Amino acid sequence: MKPLPDLPLTIRVGGPLGTLDRRPLKPYAEPVLAFLAALSKALLSQAEVREHPDVATFAFWCRAANLARLSAEFDRRHARLGRGLVLHIAPSNVPVNFAYSFAFGLLAGNANLVRIPEGFVQVEIICDAIAALFDRPEHARVASMNRLVRYPRDDAITAALSAECQGRMIWGGDATVAHLKRLPAHPRCVDVAFADRYSLCLLGAEAVLATDDKALAELVRGFFNDSYLFDQNGCSSPHLVLWRGSDASVAAAQQRFWPALERVVQAAYPLADARTVDKFTHLCRTASEVAEVRSATRHGNLIYRIALTALPADIAAHRGQFGTFFEHAAEDLEGLAAIVTERYQTLTCFGVDRQEVVDFIVDRGLPGIDRVVPVGKALDMGVVWDGYMLVEELSRIVHSA
Amino acid sequence: MSSAEKYDAAFIETFLLEPKDLAALKYQEVESWDSVGHMALIAALEEAFAIELDIDDIIEFSSYEAGKAILSKYDVKIEPV
Repeated sequence: MKPLPDLPLTIRVGGPLGTLDRRPLKPYAEPVLAFLAALSKALLSQAEVREHPDVATFAFWCRAANLARLSAEFDRRHARLGRGLVLHIAPSNVPVNFAYSFAFGLLAGNANLVRIPEGFVQVEIICDAIAALFDRPEHARVASMNRLVRYPRDDAITAALSAECQGRMIWGGDATVAHLKRLPAHPRCVDVAFADRYSLCLLGAEAVLATDDKALAELVRGFFNDSYLFDQNGCSSPHLVLWRGSDASVAAAQQRFWPALERVVQAAYPLADARTVDKFTHLCRTASEVAEVRSATRHGNLIYRIALTALPADIAAHRGQFGTFFEHAAEDLEGLAAIVTERYQTLTCFGVDRQEVVDFIVDRGLPGIDRVVPVGKALDMGVVWDGYMLVEELSRIVHSA
Repeated sequence: MSSAEKYDAAFIETFLLEPKDLAALKYQEVESWDSVGHMALIAALEEAFAIELDIDDIIEFSSYEAGKAILSKYDVKIEPV
């Protein structure tokens, strides 16, 4: 195979582009598992990582025991190999996603070129740890196959790389996806594209009422992590809270849930003045634009709740900001069937049988919702994401009849 | 190293504690055993005993004492030293 052309990009981790080894490995290959387990250990033992739960969560995900579990669950009915070279265009707004994207490419057995975001200390911590491992002889094979790079938005570079790639992981929303898909790629290139998504939360009123103080604290902490960690910008962060139950039990459950959340937000979410102004302006605009808005309840400026008389079909076009949530109550799931489009990604649940929700989605043939997970798990990345099995997508089958 | 020694070593090395502090140790009651420390502890225990803990057991691993009972489900017996 010809070496990659020399391109004007900055190599953050790894040797020159021309020395990249593109020979694939099988999925969950030993050198890859050893490398990711070593990365997990290196990160979890760093004091600095304590201040970055997102880095710790990534490190915990790629620990040896979890990789062994994923490998054991992997379908080996067919022989598989990595597709070759995968280009990762990582999102610029969520620091750690590049590391998961890289890990998925590795686990599938590929060589990887990862375009990493600028301006996050988390990115530097992970890159430094990877660079240190790449220098060790036991990780030479993995080091030879991978580069973490930076370059400004530049179609010429992305096109030159795309021509060499058998897979592209494109993060960054509708505009980025549409733009990059227009660039010609290798004819065998598989694009896994992560477009703009919309997410919501479903809470069982009776279950919220039945929580003891400890369970309630865990629930609101989970909801806080799902929503506030990225200022409600994560594609899995909820914007709509659907309550399931009678009007009376929902009203009582709201009295229990929101004040408990307010205490967590108060302690853990510094809201700058400029953002408070944006948040309030957004609330006023929403109230005037959305005909179904009945009332708004403010918990100081920490939580804005917008009550709806009915669910507008285009509710997904109205997103919350910095802790702004639409609310609606219903006795059953029918409301979901009326609003869900292919844009819907994650439904976080509490006090609801998740299998029942999955069955409802499948039986009714809903065009969206790819994940039904407990409250608190919205941001947990994994090898199944956005409706894709990523290790399968990024590897090819060597079939024998 | 005995199982008990390995078990103690995981706590001592992860949280930088003295052996005398272990018996009464509970999640969130020392600064170092926060949610991030918890992940480091679980990873250390899994490695020390070559096991994979289920997610429910990871969540319920709420104290030094409670952890012993959880590990017994994985055929790890923590006898007194």
